[in-house]
Amino acid sequence: MDILPQLILNSIIAGAVYTLMALGFNLIYGATKFFNLAHGVLAAVGGYVVFFLFKSNGWNLYLSVLIAILITGLVGYLIDKIIYAPLRKRKASNMVLLVASLGIFTAIQAIIAILFTSQFQTLSTGAGDSNIYQIGTGSITQTQVVILLSGLLIMAGLVLLLKKTLLGKAIKAISDDEEVAKIVGIDTNKIIGYIFFIGSAIAGWAGILIGFDIGLEPTMGMGLLLKGVIASIIGGVGNIYGGVLGAFLLGFVENFGIWKISGEWKDAIAFGLLIIFLLLRPQGILKK
Amino acid sequence: MPILKIKNLSKHFNGIRAVDDLSLEIEKGRITGIIGPNGSGKSTFINVLSGIIPQDKGFFIINGEKVVKVKPHNIAFYGMTRTFQDVRLFNQMTVLDNLLVVLTKRYAVGALFEKHNQLYLNKAKEILEKVGLWEKKSELAINLSYGQRKLLEIGRMLATSMVSGEPDIFLLDEPFAGLFPHMVKIVESIIKELKEQGKTIILIEHNMGLIRELCDHVFVMDEGKLLAEGEPAEVLEEKKVIEAYLGE
Amino acid sequence: MEYLIHLAILFAIYAILGISLNLVVGYTGLLSVTQSAFYGIGAYATAILLTQTGMNFFFSVILGIIITAIVSFLMGIVLSKFNGDYYALGSFGFNIIIFSIFLNWQSLTRGPLGIPGISRPVLFGLDFSQNITFLVLAWIILAIIYFISRFIVNSSFGRVLKAIREDEKAIQVFGYNTFNYKMMIFVISAAMAGVAGALFASYITFIDPSTFTLNESIFIMAIIILGGLANLKGSILGALFLILLPEILRFVGFPTEIAAQMRQVVYGIILILLMLYRPQGLVGEYKL
Repeated sequence: MDILPQLILNSIIAGAVYTLMALGFNLIYGATKFFNLAHGVLAAVGGYVVFFLFKSNGWNLYLSVLIAILITGLVGYLIDKIIYAPLRKRKASNMVLLVASLGIFTAIQAIIAILFTSQFQTLSTGAGDSNIYQIGTGSITQTQVVILLSGLLIMAGLVLLLKKTLLGKAIKAISDDEEVAKIVGIDTNKIIGYIFFIGSAIAGWAGILIGFDIGLEPTMGMGLLLKGVIASIIGGVGNIYGGVLGAFLLGFVENFGIWKISGEWKDAIAFGLLIIFLLLRPQGILKK
Repeated sequence: MPILKIKNLSKHFNGIRAVDDLSLEIEKGRITGIIGPNGSGKSTFINVLSGIIPQDKGFFIINGEKVVKVKPHNIAFYGMTRTFQDVRLFNQMTVLDNLLVVLTKRYAVGALFEKHNQLYLNKAKEILEKVGLWEKKSELAINLSYGQRKLLEIGRMLATSMVSGEPDIFLLDEPFAGLFPHMVKIVESIIKELKEQGKTIILIEHNMGLIRELCDHVFVMDEGKLLAEGEPAEVLEEKKVIEAYLGE
Repeated sequence: MEYLIHLAILFAIYAILGISLNLVVGYTGLLSVTQSAFYGIGAYATAILLTQTGMNFFFSVILGIIITAIVSFLMGIVLSKFNGDYYALGSFGFNIIIFSIFLNWQSLTRGPLGIPGISRPVLFGLDFSQNITFLVLAWIILAIIYFISRFIVNSSFGRVLKAIREDEKAIQVFGYNTFNYKMMIFVISAAMAGVAGALFASYITFIDPSTFTLNESIFIMAIIILGGLANLKGSILGALFLILLPEILRFVGFPTEIAAQMRQVVYGIILILLMLYRPQGLVGEYKL
C-alpha cells in the first residue's frame, strides 16, 4: 500500500494533463461541433518552439514559453482561417472537416519530424533542475505541480471567460446555435477564430509542460488529443466541468488499471473506457 | 374496418408535447387526411408510426396486430410505405437507382446474389414514366428540381408496392407542397388510382382544396391532440378548427 | 528493375487495402479508420502460422481470413451503435487497442521484436521466393479481390449500401435491415485487408507492430480519398500515386531520410487540398 500515494499523485497529474487537452478541445468542439483531430499536434508545436528557442538557442525560459504559446495560438488561428472557415462557409459535412483535420495533423507532425528529427527530446536541462516535493510516500516534481495548478487555473479562467465576459456570451451563443448567433449579429467567424487561438494556445501550453515533465516527440500530439477527447466524452461533451471530471477519471482509471497489469496497456485501457462510455452513456457523465 | 388503430400515442421533445395522448382509427380503403396548424404534431405522428422516432407512450394496432416498438425496417412488413415531407432521397444516386434500390430483394445475402431482373427495370420504367422522370433516369437525384424530387419521392413510394407483400397503407407527408399545377395533377391521379386499387392512404396536407377533393375522412390535430374529425366539408366549417388555424 | 518489382508488389498490396476500405467508406459511408488493424491481424496470423507451424501459405491465409472475420464481426457490432464522428472515434479506439495487442502480447507476437523468418509462399508446388513470381501472385490476388468487389458493388446489395450511405433511416423504412448489410460489408472489407496483410508478411518475410498503426489507417484513407470514393479503379489509382510519391520526391532531390516524412507532409496536404477543392478525388463517384 506504500505506492498508493504515488499512484494517486500520478493519477492526479495525468488527470491535470488530460484536463488541459480536454479544455482546449472542448472549447473548440463546442463552437464548431466537429472532432478537430489537428488539435493534438498543436501541443507538439508548443513544445518544440520552446525546444528551439530555449534549449537550442539559449533564449530566456519565460520568454520562450510565452512566444511558444502565442505562436501555437496563431497556428491554430491560421488553420481555422485558411482551412476550416472556408469549409464551414460552404457547409461542408463533419466528415470533410474531420478528414481535413487528419491531413493537417499528418502534415504538421511530419514537418516537426523533419525539422527536429523523430528522436525523443526533453525540455528540462538535467537533474536537479526542478524541485521535488514529498507527499507521504509519494513525490511530485515542480513541473508536475505547475501542470496541476495551471490545469485548475485555466479551467477557472475559462469558466470566468464564458460566464462573465461578452466574448464568453458570444461563444456560448455560437455553441448553442451558430445560425441563430449569426442572425443576432455575432460575427461568428471572428469569434471562432479567437476560440481557435485560445484553445490552441492551451494545447501548446500542455505540450510545453509535458516537454518538461516527460519529453517531446513529434508523434506526441495524437495520443494526448485522444486522451483529451476521451476525457471530454466520458465527462460530458461541451461541458467544461465535464471535461475536467472526465480527465481526472481517466487519469485514475489508467494509473490504477496498470497497477495490476503492465504499463504498456495504458492506451488500450483508455480506449476500452471510451468504448464502454460510448456504448452505455454516450452523452457523458455531466450534461451540457 | 379499421386497418390501423392508434392508441394513446404520446411523444415529447424537451418538454414540448409534440403528440399528446392521441387516439384514432384509420379505415381501410379510404383516403384519410390529417390536417392542423404548423407544429400540431402531424409529421411527428407519421414519423413515430413509421419508426423514424420512438414514442414515449402508446401503441398501434396494424392490420389487427399490436405493435409497440416500430422498427423502421419492419414497417414494410406491416404493409406500410411513405414519403417524407423533407424529401429524403438518395442524393448521390441516379433517379433510376433510387427506385431500383427499393424494388430489389431485401435480405442482405439474397440481394448479393440476385440475378439482374428485367422485371424490376420494367416496373421502374413504368413508375418513372408515370411521374414523368424516365428521361432523367441517369441524372443524380440531387440535380433534380424541387418538384421533380417530390415526384421521385412518390415514385419511390410506389416502387415499394411492387415487391413481395404489396403495401396496403400509404403515408404521404405533404406531397403537394411546392408543386406546379401539372405536377399536382400527376400526384392527384396517383392517389386516386391507389384508392381504386383498394389501398389505404393517410395524407398530411395544408392545401384545403385538395383535402376536400380527395379525402373521405379528416382528422384535425392541434398541439399534439385530436381536435376534430369527420368529413372534410363539415370539419373545415367547424368553429374550433378555423380558430385553431387563425389563432396561431 | 528489382526495385520496380518491389514497388509493384507494394502497389498491389495497397491497392487491395484501398479497395477494401472503399467498400466500407466510399460505398457504405462508414467512416472507419481502423483498416490497419485488420491488415495487421492478417499479417500476424500468417506470420505466426508460417513460422510456428509448417502450415502452407494458402491455409494460413484462410485461417487469417477467419480470424480477421471474427474480430471484425465483434468490432462491427460495437461500432454499429455509433454514428458519424463517434463511429470514427470508436474505430480509432479499436485500432489503438489492437495495436497495443500486437505490441504487448509478447508471448504471441514477440512484441516490438517482430517476427522474422517468414517464408515465401509455396503453392501447388510453385515456389514464390523470387520477387518476380511473388509479383505475379500479388497481382492475381489483387485481380480476384477487384472482381469480387466489383460484383458486390454492382449487385442489388451494393445499391443498398449506397442508399445506406445517403440516408440510412430512409432506406430502413423501405424494409431493409441495414445492420445486416453494414456488418456484412465490414467483415468482407476486413477479410480483404487481412489478405493484404498475409501477402505483406510473406513478401517482406519480417513484420513488427510499427507497420500497423493508426497512421497507416490514415494513409489508406488518403489513398481512397485521393483516388475517389465509391470508385474501385480510383482506389487502384490512389494506391499507385501514393506508392510512387516517395520515389518522385527522391527524384526531385529530397534525401532518403526525410523522404518518408516528406511523403507524410505531401499526403497530409493532399488531403487538405482535396477537401477544399475536390472532395470527389480523382475519379470518385461520391463527394464526402
